Amino acid sequence: MAERAPIADDAVGVGLRLPHMAEIAATRPQIGFLEVHAENYMAETLALDRLLELRRDYPVSLHGVALSLGSAEALDRDHLARLKALIEQVEPVLVSEHLAWSAIGGVYLNDLLPLAYTEASLELFCRHVEEAQEGLGRRLLIENPSSYLRYRLSQIPEAGFMTEIARRTGCGILCDVNNIYVSAFNFGFDPIAYLQALPVEAIGEIHLAGHHAAEGVDILIDDHGSRVAEPVWQLYAAALRRFGPVLTLIEWDTNLPALDVLLEEARRAEEVAHVH
Amino acid sequence: MCTDVSTLLELQVRLRRAILIGDTAEIVDAILGDGLDPAARVGIYHHHAFATLGEALQGTFPVVCRLVDKRFFAYAAHEYLREHPPHSRCLAEYGADFPEFLAGFAPCQGLPYLADVARFEWALNIAATVREATPLQAQTLAAIPLEDSAYVAFRLQPSLSYFASPWPVDAIWQANKADEVPEIDLTSGGTSLEIHRADGAVVWRRLDLGTFAFRTALADGLVLAAAMSAAILKDSGFDLVTALRQVFADGLAVGFVVSPERQNLG
Repeated sequence: MAERAPIADDAVGVGLRLPHMAEIAATRPQIGFLEVHAENYMAETLALDRLLELRRDYPVSLHGVALSLGSAEALDRDHLARLKALIEQVEPVLVSEHLAWSAIGGVYLNDLLPLAYTEASLELFCRHVEEAQEGLGRRLLIENPSSYLRYRLSQIPEAGFMTEIARRTGCGILCDVNNIYVSAFNFGFDPIAYLQALPVEAIGEIHLAGHHAAEGVDILIDDHGSRVAEPVWQLYAAALRRFGPVLTLIEWDTNLPALDVLLEEARRAEEVAHVH
Repeated sequence: MCTDVSTLLELQVRLRRAILIGDTAEIVDAILGDGLDPAARVGIYHHHAFATLGEALQGTFPVVCRLVDKRFFAYAAHEYLREHPPHSRCLAEYGADFPEFLAGFAPCQGLPYLADVARFEWALNIAATVREATPLQAQTLAAIPLEDSAYVAFRLQPSLSYFASPWPVDAIWQANKADEVPEIDLTSGGTSLEIHRADGAVVWRRLDLGTFAFRTALADGLVLAAAMSAAILKDSGFDLVTALRQVFADGLAVGFVVSPERQNLG
């Protein structure tokens, strides 16, 4: 296995999507790190072979989207084993997952579905994070989701829930600033207060992405399909003032632009980080 | 309010039902309105799940989509998703039974070749998602005693699919990859295809009936004598030595066992 490429503690990376792979491989642009959705590389695809080549030159972060740590049933051991096998091949600098569930009763819904924030779900989620960290033999980062509904059952504010997961399990927090902005808009809470509630020492990465306004209703949809919105850049600056230097990722998964646009967004994140 | 895991499970099962079936009656009371109809909030997740899973199917079956147009494909995908939601969490592995679904989907009956084009695209997908194994060298067989040679069963490349159709599906598929679709003669006859990954690319080719029967039998795990019998039924001039040499030349065999099970000959 080749030596792992080094990474700076304030590196800015981009989400790696298939259409950009060849160009990155050919031009080797300056990018702090690459992040991929783990599930897209669990099959033995040609894309996996290309990723394994790129990891010689770029630190790679694995971002899981389907471990379904919030499911009210046992963790899927097969999926965990596939994630572990991928980690052994890629040797990522980070492995992250979500505060969400996406599968129940053997059916996978391909979405990051919201949890009821109760003491019972907190215990369950922490148990799953501990089981996953033990099975993978490494620390996870857990990302706050963007949400469009809240349950009547919920008793714990999301930032408090995230904080308690980190405290109980030792996992880190992947702070998705766009998700905070989107959920704060959708439910009318103060995004700065959310940032203030997160434990500085647990923050391991920041995500930035685009969103759009839903048609006909006062809802923002996190779509990873456009440039980072101005208010999210402002919230990012506030996050850096609170957290200090943090690895930051530009995510762009739908309506993919030219690679240059993605790199422009990364340069802007570097500039914001430089000022703060 | 006190909750336990069974309450959470019930909540998740109800949301799953609402997302898949669109029936929100059992979940809306559990959701805060926050200024919007709770059913509309569930609808956001329903829409996302169906849109992204539909896109995943479209990525795996691009020519099927082109043959029926995007709107009809979205409709067919929607019906399929309701009946066959994904079990694997890797979307590249979703859609194995989509061809069978299309074969029985009444609105598609006017396109009798559609399900076979879907089968072909699924075989291409398998080849694209399974890495090549190291081929077995022909000289490895020299160690097998002559009296055992009829009972050798091979393990073939895991990316391989064999697939026969009464329609020229490869020609239909190829033509529909281009912007301008040339005329296809649907009466030009069927195809017997071999699809696999070779040298880092997905490849396929048409096989003659004897070779197709022989290789399909090997892929099904039949011993050499049984595979030869299957081939001779299709081609009385079938030559085992040449056929076997070609299997090795194509790098298809990756392992073998000597089977004592003579009933495999049947």
